[in-house]
Amino acid sequence: MRFRVARSAFRVLAAFWRLNLAEELQYRANFIASLLGTVFDMATALLTLALFFHHTTALGGWDYWEIVVLLGVFNALTGVIEAVLRPGIGQLADEVRSGELDLVLVKPVDAQGFVSFRRLDIWRLTDVVLGLALAGYALFRMGHTPSLAQLAAFASTLAAAAVVVYAIWVVLMSLAFWFVSVENIAVLFDAVYEGARYPVSAYPGALRFVFVYLIPIAWTTTIPASALTGRLRPEIALAAALVAALAFALARALWRAALKRYAGASG
Amino acid sequence: MIRRYGALIRNAWLVDLQYRASIVLWLLWGVAEPAIALGIWWTIAGDGSVAGYARADFARYFFAVMLINQLTIAWDSWYLDRWIREGDLNYRLARPLHPAHEAVAENIAYKARTASVILVVWLLVAAAWPAVRLSFDPGRWAITAVAVLLAAAMRFFISFTTGLLAFWTTRATAIMELHARVSLFLAGRIAPLALLPPAVAGVAGVLWFRSMLAFPVDLLTGAVQGTDAILQGLGGQIVWLAVWILAYRVAWSRGIRKYGAVGG
Repeated sequence: MRFRVARSAFRVLAAFWRLNLAEELQYRANFIASLLGTVFDMATALLTLALFFHHTTALGGWDYWEIVVLLGVFNALTGVIEAVLRPGIGQLADEVRSGELDLVLVKPVDAQGFVSFRRLDIWRLTDVVLGLALAGYALFRMGHTPSLAQLAAFASTLAAAAVVVYAIWVVLMSLAFWFVSVENIAVLFDAVYEGARYPVSAYPGALRFVFVYLIPIAWTTTIPASALTGRLRPEIALAAALVAALAFALARALWRAALKRYAGASG
Repeated sequence: MIRRYGALIRNAWLVDLQYRASIVLWLLWGVAEPAIALGIWWTIAGDGSVAGYARADFARYFFAVMLINQLTIAWDSWYLDRWIREGDLNYRLARPLHPAHEAVAENIAYKARTASVILVVWLLVAAAWPAVRLSFDPGRWAITAVAVLLAAAMRFFISFTTGLLAFWTTRATAIMELHARVSLFLAGRIAPLALLPPAVAGVAGVLWFRSMLAFPVDLLTGAVQGTDAILQGLGGQIVWLAVWILAYRVAWSRGIRKYGAVGG
């Protein structure tokens, strides 16, 4: 398997995103709506957490502010998903059904990369900023200043987390080839990703197994948040990078198998 | 009328049948949230109990939430928003049958399918896991069925009426999402109402939220005991159902006069 990405691919993406940006800037009211939505999401998450901590002092060995750090990481990743990945998935489901995917496949770019990143909802990138700000505030409340090594571990595990999230997303996109007419396939992601709001140690054994090995969302929030709060062991950081590489390779293989099922029918 | 309903339900059932994968998706979405909440409360309860709820009580509670939420949930505001915005409402208005009947028939078909799947899963899990078994009590189940029917009717009118707001605003579905967010706490989706701060639980009981879900769930698990408490709960459901039917009538008659659309 080759992962050679041509420079032209980035130029194509840059052109698409520039167009998207110009389009989005016309609808500045969307920015306010998106910001309000995010603030409301965060408030709901914090209230839920407050309810749990009304009845306990620690959840899976994590105290309140540590989980708020994790919620910040969760929000930052959600922002990446909402800004980059989600805007395109409805279009893909439509194209598989109508046969218009032909027009994508004949383009001289990598189809997976193209359908994943072709649309950009710029306003949702504020979620990333708000999420990281929340994590920073929670660290401040903990009285914990991350060391340089911890920040480096955070940056690398966060990058690994983004790759894992993307791999899960590609698996879902591939499902669109088997189950045509699933405009709502992203709903499945929302359902599963809800589980990443809490540290994986907060779940009973069976769920923990699922979240670490089968649907590896534990690697997307628990691990980067552990890096920030200083409870991450170095070998786990290394494992996170391996998990990300493995998840990406498996997802890519599934995407290729899915593409083989596709028989164009377009006009 | 019964023949018409038979045809409508059959129609909705057949349409759904084409989109089996979508139904499974929404089903998983409905099950994931209570499953995660159960996981967290399971850990918090440990070997003891939280406000009288031990692990097995939480398991029964959230299995009941999965079933009854599926039986009472109504997606109609999303459909109505689209019908009104894109003009699909036009040919529905031209039919000799009120569009609400089609929506009711769709709800029955959808709920029959998804809730029966959850019921089968519950029975299978109960065969292996005693924690989620309910005590055998047909009388209680019969009263629960009535409460579920009232809750389903009320949630239908809430969703339908909110969808009708699309006559006036483009943010009707956003309002419905806000309502869903509030009901996460007040209707008992994230925790039994007994675990909320008393003031918040009080608000949930005075407004319609407890009647939507928490009351039928507590009936089924046996958390509501005594004739007085049961009658009081049912009474609250009937009052709020009447209020929402009234709201629906006002919104429909005003909105339809204002409505003007092309296409469809």
